[in-house]
Amino acid sequence: MSHTVLVCDDAIFMRTMISDILAQAGFEIVGEAETGSQAVEKYRQLKPDLVTMDIVMPDMGGIDAVREIVKQDPDAKILMCSAMGQQALVVEAIQAGAKDFVVKPFQPSRVLEAVQRVLG
Amino acid sequence: MDLSQYAELFLAESREHLSACNQLLLEWERTPANPAPVGGLFRAVHTVKGMAATMGYARVTDIAHRTENLLDLLRRGSRPATDELLQLLFRARDALETAVELSVVGREDELDVAEVVADLEGAAAHLAGPARSAPVAAPAVEPAAAPGGGRLVQVTLRAEAPLKGGRALLVLKRAQGLGAVQGVTPPQAAFESDDFDGRFSFRLDSSAAAAEIERVARGAGDVEHVSVGGEERRAAGPRAAAAAGAPPEATPEKGRHIRVDLRRLDELMDLIGELVTVRGRLNELAAARRDPAVDDVAIQISRLSADLQAGIIQARMTPVWQVFDRFPRLVRDLARELDKQVTFRVEGKEIELDRAILDELGDPLLHLLRNAVDHGIETPAERRRRGKQPEGEIVLAAVRERASVAISVSDDGRGIDRARILDRARREGLVDPHAEALSDDQLLRVLARPGFSTADAVTSVSGRGVGIDVAVTRIRALGGSIDIRSEVGKGTSFVLRLPVTLAIVRALIAGVGRERYALPLTYVAETVEFGVQPTTIVEGREAIVLHDRVVPLVHLRRMLGVSGDAPPRCPIIVLEMGERRSGIVVDGMLGQQEIVVKGFDPPQGTLPVFSGATIMGDGIPALILDAGGLV
Repeated sequence: MSHTVLVCDDAIFMRTMISDILAQAGFEIVGEAETGSQAVEKYRQLKPDLVTMDIVMPDMGGIDAVREIVKQDPDAKILMCSAMGQQALVVEAIQAGAKDFVVKPFQPSRVLEAVQRVLG
Repeated sequence: MDLSQYAELFLAESREHLSACNQLLLEWERTPANPAPVGGLFRAVHTVKGMAATMGYARVTDIAHRTENLLDLLRRGSRPATDELLQLLFRARDALETAVELSVVGREDELDVAEVVADLEGAAAHLAGPARSAPVAAPAVEPAAAPGGGRLVQVTLRAEAPLKGGRALLVLKRAQGLGAVQGVTPPQAAFESDDFDGRFSFRLDSSAAAAEIERVARGAGDVEHVSVGGEERRAAGPRAAAAAGAPPEATPEKGRHIRVDLRRLDELMDLIGELVTVRGRLNELAAARRDPAVDDVAIQISRLSADLQAGIIQARMTPVWQVFDRFPRLVRDLARELDKQVTFRVEGKEIELDRAILDELGDPLLHLLRNAVDHGIETPAERRRRGKQPEGEIVLAAVRERASVAISVSDDGRGIDRARILDRARREGLVDPHAEALSDDQLLRVLARPGFSTADAVTSVSGRGVGIDVAVTRIRALGGSIDIRSEVGKGTSFVLRLPVTLAIVRALIAGVGRERYALPLTYVAETVEFGVQPTTIVEGREAIVLHDRVVPLVHLRRMLGVSGDAPPRCPIIVLEMGERRSGIVVDGMLGQQEIVVKGFDPPQGTLPVFSGATIMGDGIPALILDAGGLV
């Protein structure tokens, strides 16, 4: 059975691209979220095997969403999607419980490597 | 991976974010002390940056990155916006917009961004102040043997690894799975600094084999080199971690929303159009057959195709804010340039119109708004002299009316000086030399004459005609109308009335001679019978009086040059566009039906009263009468 993924990003562009990369590699995209609070809610509903999480999102940011999700499920596997220059935020996200991170611009191979590390 | 497939999505979404930036900047400019908009600005620019970097658009990424830096400083400092900063942010936003548009067509290189980039840098450096030069942590220290118990683990990350601090932290987290970690060098705080060079060490209290420790550390990714307890181990090969298991089998599954190319919707609309035409034919055949079974099927097909048509039209509907959202910025810029004070209000943003109509509206509205700021609103000094608030107001409003949408542009400025326009119109022979006053309709007719307000008119007649002919022509071509109301000293308002959709409309079918003509119902007020109503002559035109109002008549038969006599009793179709009315005298009424509007290239010499053509149920084409040209 393929792994299920929840894709969280406020940009449709990014969600589409991440979904495409993962779907082509055989993952099943079970949900998308545009804000941190949506991500928390959908995680509760969908219990995905993997979450990709943007850091900067309206409403509730990605790092707070990581904290909330990890509180619910300490084994949650969350991959942060960050941008160059977000060193401190990535460090904070990992301290909050994110399992790995990828840096935009995404290269599909790097994304898949990170996903394998998180799921492995 | 082929990025070009994402270019349109990139463009659409970047435009949305940049449009949001405009709104946020305007909001910030109105209340500079309130830093609330800065968070939204930061997120919007950040999102554009991420998308652009992914697409490989270096210039967009660069400007976005520097703008984001500046916004980040402003956000952290919760600083009020100075005028200088706001102007810079507006410029940066505009530069981003240009860069985005050029990038997607592969012309990114044409853009010179040096100046705005330098200004953004300068502003950021100024805001950051001297504190910026103090390093967060001394990064270049060669990680030495940290004191404390456990085995010394030294790690070097790949030089090309991004955000090395995050990666180092992942290594530490994984190592913690094997035992206690202490003596991290440099201290963890340095991981948050951009200067961290990817070399670090720690002591691990674990009995695991060195090979196991190395495997775990490498599992964090991007690890170049690991040495454990002095016993150095090299990578077996690059990207050892990359080969970790083949991905599972492909079962692609997409998200819940899709974006559809407008051309596909147009194609669907064309097909529905043909279906509607065939449906008309089926209905005619069914009526002739008088077979209940055939009737039944015809009715069902009618209903289904009507639902299908409604669904597709709905999919084409777009809220007007997609065009309106660019205007607050435009009005602000123009007012600034002309030293006027203007509040700009937008109402009815959520009203929807067919995308094809909305796309055509931008220019006419732009003309009208420009006129309102330039010629309508007075200078603050002049307004004070007239006992008005120094700040003028312009309102752009959309309202749904029956089958049409009315969009108005109103200002509370000086209004149009009719006496001067009348004077000029008389001299140019545009009105009766004895005319005493200009009605609103006449005023618009005069103003909308191409080239009417050139040269001295621009100054003496407050330049009202500038672009109005363009606006009127464009709106008429869409099957709409423009009305004007103006009162000296109080202001001017233009009302544009537009059909909600272009492609399929309900129309009256009228017969003249042996031809049939379609008249869209959008502007049909009622029908009366000629010969029953007494006719009269008003201003040299034949007219009837209906509900106490004069309705001038147009004899279609005469106008189209059809020979022979009209039947003794003809119907009059009364058209109404805003306040203007006109009665169209035809030979007969052949009923109502849905018609599919087809573009139409009129042969030379054709009267300017047709807006398109349609195919009737029997396959014979009919011309569509343009209400705007007849009223």
